[in-house]
Amino acid sequence: MSTLRMAAKIARRELTGGLKGFRVFLACLALGVAAIAAIGIVRAGIEAGLEREGAAILGGDAAVQLTYRFAEPDERQWLEDTAVQVSEIADFRSMLVVDRDGQTERGLTQVKAVDDAYPIYGTVRLTPDMTLQDALANQDGIPGVVIDPVLVDRLGLSIGDAVRLGLQEFVLTALIDSAPDEAAGGFGLGPRTIVATEALEASGLLGAGTLFETEYRLKVSEDQDLTALRTAVEERFSDAGIRWRDRRNGAPGVSEFVDRLSAFLVLVGLTGLAVGGVGVAAAVRSYLDEKTTVIATLRSLGADARTIFLTYILQIGALALFGIAIGLVLGALIPILLTPTIEARLPVPAAIAIRPGPLLEAGLYGLLAAAIFTIWPLARTENVRPSALFRDTTGGADGSIRPIWILTTGALLIALVGLAAILSGLITLTLWAAGAILGAFIVLLVAADLIRRLSKRLSQTKTLRGAPTVRSAVGAIGGQAGETKSVIISLGLGLSVLAAVGQIDWNLRNAIAQDLPEVAPSYFVVDIQNDQLDGIRGLLAANPAVTDVQSAPMLRGVITMINDTPAEEVAGDHWVLQGDRGITYSALPNENTKITSGAWWEADYTGPPQISFATEEAMEMGLALGDTLTINVLGRDITAEITSFREVDFSTAGIGFILSMNPAALQGAPHTHIATIYADEAAEGQILRDIASAYPNITAIRVRDAIARVSEVLAGIAAAVTYGALATLITGGIVLIGTAAAGERARIYEGAILKTLGAPRRAILINFALRSAFLGLTAGIIAIFAGVLAGWAVTTFVMDTDFRVEPVSAFGIVAGGILVTVLTGLLFAWRPLSARPAQVLRARE
Amino acid sequence: MTAPIVSLTDVNLSLDGNAGRIDILKHIALDVTAGETVGLIGPSGSGKSSLLMLLGGLERATAGQVRVLDHDLTKMDEDALARFRRQYMGIVFQSFHLIPTMSALENVALPLELSGQSDAFERAEAELAAVGLDHRTGHYPSQMSGGEQQRVALARAAVVRPALLLADEPTGNLDETTGALIMDLLFDLRDRHGATLVLVTHARNLAERCDRVIRLRDGMIAPEAAAEAAE
Ligand SMILES: Nc1ncnc2c1ncn2[C@@H]1O[C@H](COP(=O)(O)OP(=O)(O)OP(=O)(O)O)[C@@H](O)[C@H]1O
Ligand SMILES: [Mg+2]
Repeated sequence: MSTLRMAAKIARRELTGGLKGFRVFLACLALGVAAIAAIGIVRAGIEAGLEREGAAILGGDAAVQLTYRFAEPDERQWLEDTAVQVSEIADFRSMLVVDRDGQTERGLTQVKAVDDAYPIYGTVRLTPDMTLQDALANQDGIPGVVIDPVLVDRLGLSIGDAVRLGLQEFVLTALIDSAPDEAAGGFGLGPRTIVATEALEASGLLGAGTLFETEYRLKVSEDQDLTALRTAVEERFSDAGIRWRDRRNGAPGVSEFVDRLSAFLVLVGLTGLAVGGVGVAAAVRSYLDEKTTVIATLRSLGADARTIFLTYILQIGALALFGIAIGLVLGALIPILLTPTIEARLPVPAAIAIRPGPLLEAGLYGLLAAAIFTIWPLARTENVRPSALFRDTTGGADGSIRPIWILTTGALLIALVGLAAILSGLITLTLWAAGAILGAFIVLLVAADLIRRLSKRLSQTKTLRGAPTVRSAVGAIGGQAGETKSVIISLGLGLSVLAAVGQIDWNLRNAIAQDLPEVAPSYFVVDIQNDQLDGIRGLLAANPAVTDVQSAPMLRGVITMINDTPAEEVAGDHWVLQGDRGITYSALPNENTKITSGAWWEADYTGPPQISFATEEAMEMGLALGDTLTINVLGRDITAEITSFREVDFSTAGIGFILSMNPAALQGAPHTHIATIYADEAAEGQILRDIASAYPNITAIRVRDAIARVSEVLAGIAAAVTYGALATLITGGIVLIGTAAAGERARIYEGAILKTLGAPRRAILINFALRSAFLGLTAGIIAIFAGVLAGWAVTTFVMDTDFRVEPVSAFGIVAGGILVTVLTGLLFAWRPLSARPAQVLRARE
Repeated sequence: MTAPIVSLTDVNLSLDGNAGRIDILKHIALDVTAGETVGLIGPSGSGKSSLLMLLGGLERATAGQVRVLDHDLTKMDEDALARFRRQYMGIVFQSFHLIPTMSALENVALPLELSGQSDAFERAEAELAAVGLDHRTGHYPSQMSGGEQQRVALARAAVVRPALLLADEPTGNLDETTGALIMDLLFDLRDRHGATLVLVTHARNLAERCDRVIRLRDGMIAPEAAAEAAE
């Protein structure tokens, strides 16, 4: 290994020359690695937080949920035998009633009825400070109740006041500050009330036919295998409708969401690394260009190509490791320093700490990216011949490289994409994103070359004669391959990401905030009792501001079997099978309904139950006409045949049911109605007051409020992604600055010649600014096309909404592109403008 | 006798180098009459290039007065100097100093374009033909030999029909034959435009072709210059 030793020796000598030319190299690599590492650290922190709090969020190590019934005594006994401890919870929606001064006030609430074992993990915090047991205990024979302060405020209650749930009277003993099992949100329809289950016996609220869920929370021994326990439970409760959850995934929706968002952000981070790669490659290239004479001298002294290659790969490799290390330190420190801010903004618990996993991942990405972008220029050192010493050329290290290096680059690229796909778990998305980045890269590369050729051609045509400033600017773009390429690729890629984010964000907001309300109802009303429906319709019909009211009967049921086979085995974990679904019945199809295949039942049909199913979901689940579904409604199994498919449009926020059945199949079961009210926005407040005073049990959800909440979540996501895109753009900016700095020497020289020939400084400045502006404009235009294309693909294929080009951010991006390049250009125009021609020219003699 | 086209009175040039302030030119007094050809000779480092830069307004005198064509260069700002150059001066350097991103024709046309002449390219083409490069107008500096580049530089200096031609060792980077060709072209150029020429050179035979030779030594004009030229 004397070659290696020799190479190492030379490399060490050269590196002592300092890092001056490598600031951009280090910054690009460090920034990309830091962004990915930071994302990984936060993600791991959230995962750890969810895991740590998993049991508390869940309320136990595992939970078994039943619908509309308590466990039978033998089931209960079995659970007690299996677990260390069992806690029984019942959960339902009800109205909290207050009689005051002969008047009755009601408030919608989500009631949790608990036993003595609740909560198994954590504590319920109350004001005044007391234990839950004490708070729920009888006070002079009347049981206690604790209530969410929001509801207490709304009803104007104070501690000691009497309230009613159903027929049972309670006394308010405390306000709920927090409950451990409410941490992950849970979008209950009303504020929380907690009572003791035994106190509800006389209330009539937990009888047969009422809608409630029970949950049996289990505490198990440390070494209990949860998977085995799950299997055992599912076997024991083989009847329909149980739902299993355990602490490994206390908040499945949240962790899945976090996973996806962070995987997506990592992809954005990788784009940043690709942009940084341009800077890395450019830095290595110009470093090696300057070393041409050194290399040629080494060659003439007898060093072979291998030694030279090793010499420089050792130097660049050492620098890359240094850059990656800086990136890892930054990526680890930033989230740690921002922990209070991050944790305050997250709706979920997070335990942010430095963990090796995400750092390793980011470091690996950094290494691969560094290798991909440096092998090419490094391989060119093999082309330098000793004769370069005697030729007056800047290059020497140019021309084509050996196929082995092209193959190596390709293999590394595949490794990087593969790694990203595996680590993110989003294989399709990663491949698409990688394809998009690579595609954009190639397009930009080709565009840069095209621009260069065109500029060269244009500068020679007669059109620009007599406009020396424009002509020489255009000519310079045509003449400086390296600068044109670096600027267009780095800026173009950065702007493309920003443009794509802009397009997607706008289209998403547009779909929700603009299109929807035009057709969306004002209110979505639930819990309408059978005997209230006509009254409400009458009340609304009398109000001229109401334009339309639609209603439908509604039950809730769980699809348990498809063609007598457990549904999950047929359709996997499709969302329609997750938990219970709303089901309706109707004699005639809705007037807007479009039957896509099969036929609707006769209006007076009373034969075996039939189902009309939503077309798109049926296709996803692999259902066909003639298939049977078994649906558990209130503990009763109904098996029915699918006799038609129909289009269901969920996007208008009207009433849309996946499942509709013939009336005879369901009419007998206890059910309520839902209604949508279409009305002028100005009249919304009065409508709510009218309904609430006439029918206090009814819950009306204001659609505008719901949309606002969704928009808020979307805004948060968009902000996160925009930050990611900004990191890419900052990297692009660094590359730009690096490029401008590298071009400064040439510009100083050119400026001196131009002055000598009689160009005033203003003309030189305009010349330089024009070049930058033109490159920025080109990058911006390409970015718009790339961004619109990516935006269209994402909105159309991923989000399933219509796409329209959003012009404002698009133009903003072109303008931004020009501004950024001109500013960085001008940053480096000072010296060329102020330098004395004599000094510059003398240095070149 | 005609009035001097160039007139330097008590000119000093000092620059801050690494080793502190250096006096490069000291008490230079020099008159050049219109149509005259003056050779500047002297050992390396004596200040020849510096003096030429002063005449071209590329360097500013630390003290004294530099008058060219009735303009006091020391009182003009950078941009005024640039405009002055493109109107009255042609400068040729040892290292050609062509703009690398421009073709030969573009390089030559540039000074005329800068002063807004509409026939810039026609005149540039004619000037390139005069130096024998009419077949290479579209070539870039990197595609030409040193001699060819210097011919382009000559054409560029000539194209403005300068009253004053400044040349700093224009053959220094070239072999003897090419150098001789360039010199012939330079003198031909001077004759065609009736220009005044100040030529820095090391070559004795070139100095002999000048009307007058001035010798610099340590930044000062050596008194025996005239005598030497007469030899
Ligand atoms: N920017 C500068 N800073 C400091 N000293 C300088 C600078 N430029 C030139 N000099 C010094 O000024 C002196 C004159 O330089 P100049 O180039 O005019 O000499 P020259 O006669 O043209 O020499 P040569 O024949 O080698 O071209 C030299 O000693 C040189 O080192
Ligand atoms: Mg000199």
